[in-house]
Amino acid sequence: MSILSVDNLCKNYGAVQALNGVTFSVPKGSVFGILGPNGSGKTTMLGIIMDILKPTAGSYTLFDTTPDENSRRKIGTFLETPNFYHYLSAVRNLKITAAIKQRGDEDILQVLETVNLTERKDSRFSTYSLGMKQRLAIAACLLGNPDVLIFDEPTNGLDPVGIAEIRELIKQLRQQGKTIIMASHLLDEVEKVCTHVAILKKGKLIAAGDVNEILANDDIVELGAPDMEKLKNIIGRLTGYNDMKEHDNLLQLFYPVGTTNLESINRYCFENGVVLNYMQLKKKSLESKFFELTN
Amino acid sequence: MIQLLKIEWLKIKNYNAFIILSSFFALGVVAVNYVAFSVYKNMISEVNAAKMMSSFSPYDFDRTWHTTSYFAGCILLLPGLLIIMLVTNEFTYRTHRQNIIDGWSRKQFIEVKIVLAIIAALASTALVILTALVFGLASGTSFSLEGFSITGIFFLKALTYNMVALLISVLIRRTGFATGMFFIYMGFENFVSQLLDIWSIKLRRDNTIDLGSMGDYLPMNAADGLLTFPDNPVKSLARGVLPTNYTPVVMVLCAAYLVLFCWWSYNRIIKTDL
Repeated sequence: MSILSVDNLCKNYGAVQALNGVTFSVPKGSVFGILGPNGSGKTTMLGIIMDILKPTAGSYTLFDTTPDENSRRKIGTFLETPNFYHYLSAVRNLKITAAIKQRGDEDILQVLETVNLTERKDSRFSTYSLGMKQRLAIAACLLGNPDVLIFDEPTNGLDPVGIAEIRELIKQLRQQGKTIIMASHLLDEVEKVCTHVAILKKGKLIAAGDVNEILANDDIVELGAPDMEKLKNIIGRLTGYNDMKEHDNLLQLFYPVGTTNLESINRYCFENGVVLNYMQLKKKSLESKFFELTN
Repeated sequence: MIQLLKIEWLKIKNYNAFIILSSFFALGVVAVNYVAFSVYKNMISEVNAAKMMSSFSPYDFDRTWHTTSYFAGCILLLPGLLIIMLVTNEFTYRTHRQNIIDGWSRKQFIEVKIVLAIIAALASTALVILTALVFGLASGTSFSLEGFSITGIFFLKALTYNMVALLISVLIRRTGFATGMFFIYMGFENFVSQLLDIWSIKLRRDNTIDLGSMGDYLPMNAADGLLTFPDNPVKSLARGVLPTNYTPVVMVLCAAYLVLFCWWSYNRIIKTDL
């Protein structure tokens, strides 16, 4: 069963095409990252799925059925900004959320404890810091223990400790078998918590699938020697790497993840008359992978 | 719907502006009628020239319903402002989106606001009935339900104000702009209405064409036109030159405007991006 299935979704704002024929589906039990730079259409897509925006074309299903308010009640969703009544406390705001979701009030204190807001549970929302507002929005999503959660930039505005806590929470939720759909422009975040990813660029889907396949990072071996020409010559005859580039007077060899053997490269160079004066194994940065995918 | 209204109550019961505006309106209805009641009593007892009106007591039973409704109708802006604040708050806090994300349909969101506007009009009417009863009893006459139907007209007027407020809130979304637009629209409509009324009088006088008071055919003035100043000897004298009141026409128009406001607000929420 797919939790969410999006078919050829399009959304125009006048001449601007915010979404252009996006198609993918989210399998049950996955942590599905929707990745893309700012303005790539992530929030627009989630807004359509939550019926606060109208699609120009295309369709989508939730739980393999035509979506309606009943399907939305089964999902805990935090979209874009924490939206609460400023003059009400956390508890009173969550009572409204629970009533709309047609769930009881009994787990309000528990979800506030989960996001560390117990001490401020009776304070007005308007007195909260951005991080506390963000955490309250996540608490609202957890009400009623839904099987599916949608988070849009869940770590925005949080300090490093808060970010780590939310990532830990998402991992725990995944271990409980929940399906999580998470939009983010932070590759690092997606790579750390997601099992699947869809990458959007200017409203178009440019890749979707298993996170290890889409965001696979090559190992990079950087080599330096007094005679770079000779090094280049002998490395040209070496096998096992995918690509070779020159960068900052160093030679870069791109190996598939986990296949690099520095000792054998060093021995090969020495046996072929080249003494290395520089050798380092680097991971390809996620940023460069992201630029590669989106440019 | 009961469940939806319970949720609305959770939203507003701790909202200070709701408590303050409701109290102001409740006190205002009593105060404005108390002033009129006192002025009349003093006028009759102190001013000899006014004794010709002694047979006309505005708070006697059968007149108290009309008098109280008329004066309370002058401060119906307050419930209108309350509706604007309650509805625009949803847009300001973006909770209109969150309510739908959490599991309301768009239809439920706007329907409960329309019902809220109706309930506010009903509560205002109940307050007017209670106030009319108290002043009627205070005037020393015996209870009578004659003329009570005017409170229905008051309800129609209150509902019109609330629906205009709802429509402006849904269209404009921002509290300040919506409040400003509410006042500007009322002022504009009253201005046009006065011009139309003068034209109506001239038409009747010069061309013997009696189209009624055409100012009453405008949305908010339709309700105002149904709830006119209570009958009195001076008004009776002026009747000869004023155009005829086509009450059934104005009532139908008033109902039609209400349907239009509901339909427009409903469509706005159902069909557009939130």
